[in-house]
Amino acid sequence: MKKLILGAITAALMSTAAHAENIGVSMALFDDNFLTVLRNGMNDYAKTLDGVSLQVEDAQNDVAKQLDQINNFIASGVDAIVVNPVDTSATEAMTKAAESAGVPLVYVNRQPINVDTLPDNQAFVASNEQESGTLETKEVCRLLEEKGKNPARIYIMMGELSNQAAVMRTQDIKDVMKSGECQVELQIIDEQTANWSRDEAQDLMTNWLSTGEKFDALISNNDEMAIGAIQAMKAANISMEEVIVAGVDATQDALAAMEAGDLDATVFQDAAGQGKGAVDAALKLAKGESVEQKVYIPFQLVTPANIGDYKSKN
Amino acid sequence: MATSKSHGVGGIAFDMPKRHWPNEMNVLIALILIVGIFEVLGHLMMGQSFLFDTSGRSGSIFNEQRLRIIILQVSIVGIIAIGVTQVIISGGIDLSSGSVAGAAAMIAMSFAQVAEVNGNANPTLALAPWATDLPVIVPLVIGILCGLLAGMINGALIAYTGIPPFIATLGMMVTARGVAKWWTEGRPISFPTDGYRVFGDGLMPVFIFAALAILFHLVLRHTVYGKHTYAIGSNEDAARMSGIKIGRHKVLVYTIAGILAGIAAIVLSSKNLTAQAGMGMMYELDAIAMAVIGGVSLSGGRGSIIGTVLGALIFGVIISGFTFLRLDAYYQEMVKGGIIVAAVVLDQWRQRRAALGP
Repeated sequence: MKKLILGAITAALMSTAAHAENIGVSMALFDDNFLTVLRNGMNDYAKTLDGVSLQVEDAQNDVAKQLDQINNFIASGVDAIVVNPVDTSATEAMTKAAESAGVPLVYVNRQPINVDTLPDNQAFVASNEQESGTLETKEVCRLLEEKGKNPARIYIMMGELSNQAAVMRTQDIKDVMKSGECQVELQIIDEQTANWSRDEAQDLMTNWLSTGEKFDALISNNDEMAIGAIQAMKAANISMEEVIVAGVDATQDALAAMEAGDLDATVFQDAAGQGKGAVDAALKLAKGESVEQKVYIPFQLVTPANIGDYKSKN
Repeated sequence: MATSKSHGVGGIAFDMPKRHWPNEMNVLIALILIVGIFEVLGHLMMGQSFLFDTSGRSGSIFNEQRLRIIILQVSIVGIIAIGVTQVIISGGIDLSSGSVAGAAAMIAMSFAQVAEVNGNANPTLALAPWATDLPVIVPLVIGILCGLLAGMINGALIAYTGIPPFIATLGMMVTARGVAKWWTEGRPISFPTDGYRVFGDGLMPVFIFAALAILFHLVLRHTVYGKHTYAIGSNEDAARMSGIKIGRHKVLVYTIAGILAGIAAIVLSSKNLTAQAGMGMMYELDAIAMAVIGGVSLSGGRGSIIGTVLGALIFGVIISGFTFLRLDAYYQEMVKGGIIVAAVVLDQWRQRRAALGP
């Protein structure tokens, strides 16, 4: 499918080589590692295309600022807009603004609340968030069974509670537990937020350790928090052999932690692939072609067995 | 500490705490009360003690791990709060410290990277291979210089252009965050050298925080610098007439706050073994809140490092206490907000009473 789109675009580009495409991009925020990889993925891909220029702006996690940016893009006559929404429930107004101006719009990475009612010239490119927490939890279950820990006692570290990915990934854990897809019985000791942050995760884990509660696994909504927890556990002389730690994102730091034997599983979300897919969809829509309205880039489980495939990807 | 004397500068007396009951005692009592509440709730809700070791794990009467984390988790913001405290005492405010720490962390860390990780080239290399495996003094000096520079700009703007500290440091807050993002275009910088790991290792952040707190307690109480800082905050006109060089002193106050933000940046990035553009976000507000809870008056001239340290401990106790009780983070934020407002209300009330009294 991807090749097909690529082929179509290359063909379309060659036929209209003289025509330059301007795409306005509004990112939720620049200082987020994952979104930075996504942003760079878009930029790198656009550079390989002839006559495509990106104008990338930072909405600084501000819903109102993002809408202003979109209106500014429309006013300056871009051919298409790519939006990485600050807040997934605030996309209604963006869709309307772009629709009434007749400018194609592509949402990337975060699923807009109106995803099922998007007009024809709008699309959504992301990974199916449900996969990430599910892949992560199933791998933790497998590892726990391998170690013969049943029932297993676990801690859950959550991302920012106002963020959909955090809510979803935490729900995935519970869904896997309920659906019987977990080979062992998981008992949740406690679930707390560390706001995606390594620093807060260090402190949270140390606070947990101070209760003296024994646990078998930590399931974290992202890698940064998993790494923070690992640092805290190492500082408390806990053997990383004994505890299973899993995260999501497959960041460079996480892969290094996995190579060191500290992190047991993570999930790769193809950020650059999403960025590329969004630019592709935007270009097609700008040319008046139709695209699938929901393009899903799959998540992939990363373990010490296949880590080599991912080291150059993020 | 329980000073009841007035200091004279050039013949003009200004206000030092005149009470026999020092303000810090109230903060200490509040701290003990909050600990007591968690202790009681711990027994009721968890069947466990908050502060004491009931399981006999550590072989001491206290739960030492918990005591450590209570202080450790507020040490880095605490370092910033020391700088912010002397700024507020001088009658100013510093909103830039969190962002400055973020920018300084990024820049310092980019000179503290190792060349190789697990046999491969460092995947998060920020600058160029020549900037790897440098002696630890290089990132250390660079981090502190970044903070110093930002603080000096703050101070110079406030002292010589006459714009309010709120605006000057707000500008720096936005600018420094921009620098933090621009430095690597948002990419994180990880894998520091062994030398650089020392500053955030184990209880090192606590030691650094404690050392700086003692140093600045002495500086504020027993040096001319400290006396002038209180004098300017109490009554700037009087201080000027008594011969204090207000402008120069303010530059110094903000520069020192910047240096402390730079030191915090080094400890923060070392503790986390990474620097990221979003680091230190909102730290300035936590630092200001610690000072305010500790009895530092936002109208200037009153407060102490001891108060701020106690304020920081209250923060730490609340964070650990809520995790201990397994209560959600929502409640934690609500309570934190409530305590900040209560502290200021209490301070206002005490000031009014002091003004009315004999």
